[in-house]
Amino acid sequence: MSVVESREAGNGPSPRSFAIAHQRPKASFTGCSKIADYEVLGKLGEGTFGEVHRARSKRTGATVALKKIIMHNEKDGFPITALREIKLLKLLSHRNVLRLEDMAVEHPARSNDKRKRPIMYMVTPYMDHDLSGLLDNPSVHFTIPQIKCYMVQLLEGLRYLHDNHILHRDMKAANLLINNKGILQIADFGLARHYEGEVPKPGRGGGVAVREYTSLVVTRWYRPPELLMHLKKYTTAIDMWGVGCVFGEMLVGKPILAGDSDTNQLDIIFDLCGTPTDENMPGWRNLPNSDCLKIRPRPGNLSHRFKEHGPGAISLLKELLKLDYRARINAMDAAQHPYFKSAPFPARSEDLPTFEESHEFDRRKFNDRRAALPPAPKGGEMIGRGPPPEGANGPNAGFNNAGFNHADGYGGRNGANGSRHPFRRGPPPPDERVPAWHRDRGLPAGLPPRPPPPVDYNSGWDAGPEHPDSFRDSRDRPPARGRGGGVGAGRLEILDTYIPSYDRELPRRDDRRRRDDWDDRRHDWDRDRRRPEFDDRARASRTRSRSRSPIRDRERERDRDPYRR
Amino acid sequence: MSHMTNPLATPDQLYQRRSFSALPTELQDAIFFSAQCLTQAAGVLLHLPQSTTAQANVLLARYWLVEPFMSDDYEFSDMSAATLYLTAKISPTPRSPRDVTNVYTYLLSPSSPFLRPSSLPRAPNIPKTYYLSQASYQAFHARLLAAEAHILYTLSFNTHVALPHAVCITYLQALDFLAQQRKEPLAKRALAHLNTALLSPQMLYLTSQPNALAVAAIYSAARDVGAKMPECEWWEVFDVDREELGFLVVGMRSVLGWARKMRVDVPGMKDGGMLRRADVEGEMRRRGLFLGNGRAVGGEEEDPEAEMARKMDEKMAEMEARG
Repeated sequence: MSVVESREAGNGPSPRSFAIAHQRPKASFTGCSKIADYEVLGKLGEGTFGEVHRARSKRTGATVALKKIIMHNEKDGFPITALREIKLLKLLSHRNVLRLEDMAVEHPARSNDKRKRPIMYMVTPYMDHDLSGLLDNPSVHFTIPQIKCYMVQLLEGLRYLHDNHILHRDMKAANLLINNKGILQIADFGLARHYEGEVPKPGRGGGVAVREYTSLVVTRWYRPPELLMHLKKYTTAIDMWGVGCVFGEMLVGKPILAGDSDTNQLDIIFDLCGTPTDENMPGWRNLPNSDCLKIRPRPGNLSHRFKEHGPGAISLLKELLKLDYRARINAMDAAQHPYFKSAPFPARSEDLPTFEESHEFDRRKFNDRRAALPPAPKGGEMIGRGPPPEGANGPNAGFNNAGFNHADGYGGRNGANGSRHPFRRGPPPPDERVPAWHRDRGLPAGLPPRPPPPVDYNSGWDAGPEHPDSFRDSRDRPPARGRGGGVGAGRLEILDTYIPSYDRELPRRDDRRRRDDWDDRRHDWDRDRRRPEFDDRARASRTRSRSRSPIRDRERERDRDPYRR
Repeated sequence: MSHMTNPLATPDQLYQRRSFSALPTELQDAIFFSAQCLTQAAGVLLHLPQSTTAQANVLLARYWLVEPFMSDDYEFSDMSAATLYLTAKISPTPRSPRDVTNVYTYLLSPSSPFLRPSSLPRAPNIPKTYYLSQASYQAFHARLLAAEAHILYTLSFNTHVALPHAVCITYLQALDFLAQQRKEPLAKRALAHLNTALLSPQMLYLTSQPNALAVAAIYSAARDVGAKMPECEWWEVFDVDREELGFLVVGMRSVLGWARKMRVDVPGMKDGGMLRRADVEGEMRRRGLFLGNGRAVGGEEEDPEAEMARKMDEKMAEMEARG
């Protein structure tokens, strides 16, 4: 908040008024709010971050969402990923980007608890829906003007991020929040990072990448072909592919590219967009993963599949879903696409209909849903949670590749998406809120088949099978081992990694609970589905105690070792 | 998105800190100065870039702007370590708690030359004095993380710090100083002034924006090396007014003289090394002042053995009561 304020003042012309305007309000360094400043109105569900509560601010009266971050006995202190995301969010200010309004702290009632860690909440404005939840709501049908309205806002928000050197890296319907005023906001900067090089220019696509980042980002269904082939020098074009997927999803009402493995994902992309050739994806043969592909040449069926949506939509979709990431349209050009300039015109936000709240996480209240995983990104979130716009080399090298939990992606909010293809049923727990659209009908059932573990990525950092567990381990960890995470320390520096690379074989740590709280339960889905009535807390404590001692040993080992390099 | 400005201290905050603290001003300043120096020294030993260490300095200043020095139970050196650890963690060059611990243990040991007056003979290097046992590592580690969390809550997670160093180079380029043959002395000197300002108990980084700090550093440096500056009021171009420039220049240039004098005047500083809470409390007692809310800092100290015995008695009583 402070940064934003001072920035606004920064336009003041005279030095004097500049200085005066920059005087901080008394609140400047007064610290976090207390949880008591908010009246908690009930649990909304579990979002990507874990528990989310709705609350009302006693000071402003505004309804807000509180996302819980729990501090555990972390060896490295406050989770680096959370720190990065918070730092990044505090610097952003745009109507189509979710705002971090405050941080609230809840001190444990009695401090005789040995681990008296306070609980932190991120306070954001309350949004009635997320796009994924909204699309799942059977009573909601998007009109073309409405879709155009959301698309324009999405492109505006993304253009702002890209102009400010930020890659979102987890574009998907579940991360787009919508309120009943028709405003769409981009949320979840857990994977976002600062990028180097030029910002996109009109007519020039995503520009040219100047360095490598980890390719293990983006939820699988929204992951562009170049990432599936392990391109590391990618650009803002990766987010644009996600926009294309979201656009298609709004048109047809369900995810358009729901692959169940990375290989299958590429396969269905080729079904839609055609197989890569030297014309439509120059240089694709040089991508690391391209030689393992057995491709049966075929033209794409995009025009056919979206025939009913008209030539305008098809043309925009083709621009967004271009195999060639260099030629893929950028956000500012996409916003100028003729599709938005032809009838029916985009609706104005305030004219959009309102809906009963629908959140992707409603679905997750049902056990079956929980299992419904979306295709997780292969590296999913594990990768670094947010990169702060820090200096140049996001050095955090070493952090990222640590392990990738493929399972991770499954749980995403997106898990929600899965519910659209459910195959399992079960009653919701009695006391949970049932989403409106569920109240009068049976549970939709089931989850999509769980995606097989992704192919082993031997490239880069995470050589080694991705064990969900190891993923888990690394996930929230602070970067402490930045430089060296163990793998060739020298070049670490250039890679963009946020997560230290820990040994692959780590025993399961106690972050189970942490995950629930901080970012999600995506990792747990596979376990959960086998145990329909599982209970979080119990599970958490079990895991926790079990993992105690191995952790210690490992820690000691680690302390000694990687830092030395 | 602005990376160029910092939240600043309000006059109220500065005034309150000065006027309502339990500590006399010179002790406050001595603590502040030695902690900032400690952070710098640790930054060097940890091979951290100055940009990271300087941010840690600013965070520590922000923290002490709102939290009085003696309000919590942390050693001053713990706060220095925690800010440095935290800043490194979110920077490109994170450091492990182990490294941080080792470095601080060394700096705080009698073998370290840290803040040792040049009048004293060089400290003998006795490795035993900075050997870190597992128990003390664990204890330090726990304090480090607790202090880190405390700092984050206090600062409301505002960990972004805009430094003036890069701005300063840009301004020098704009003034056409870097094109000249003898460019280093001026630029070097200007950066040195900026780094000195980090140590100033006037908390210059909390009272001025980076552009003003950069201009003041250039102005001072130009005077030092006798560089010829434009005749006009060139600082206006960089959005700094004369009054602020004057204040900053005086602030920056006075640090050296003040620090020399302080190190002689403040008792705890004479023997070198980092000021500790015990030094401050001892000094307060000597002056007949009392610290804390009715906590008998000045009173008899309990013999450690007696205290231990008392605690064990209490524990036994508690267990008996329960069982």
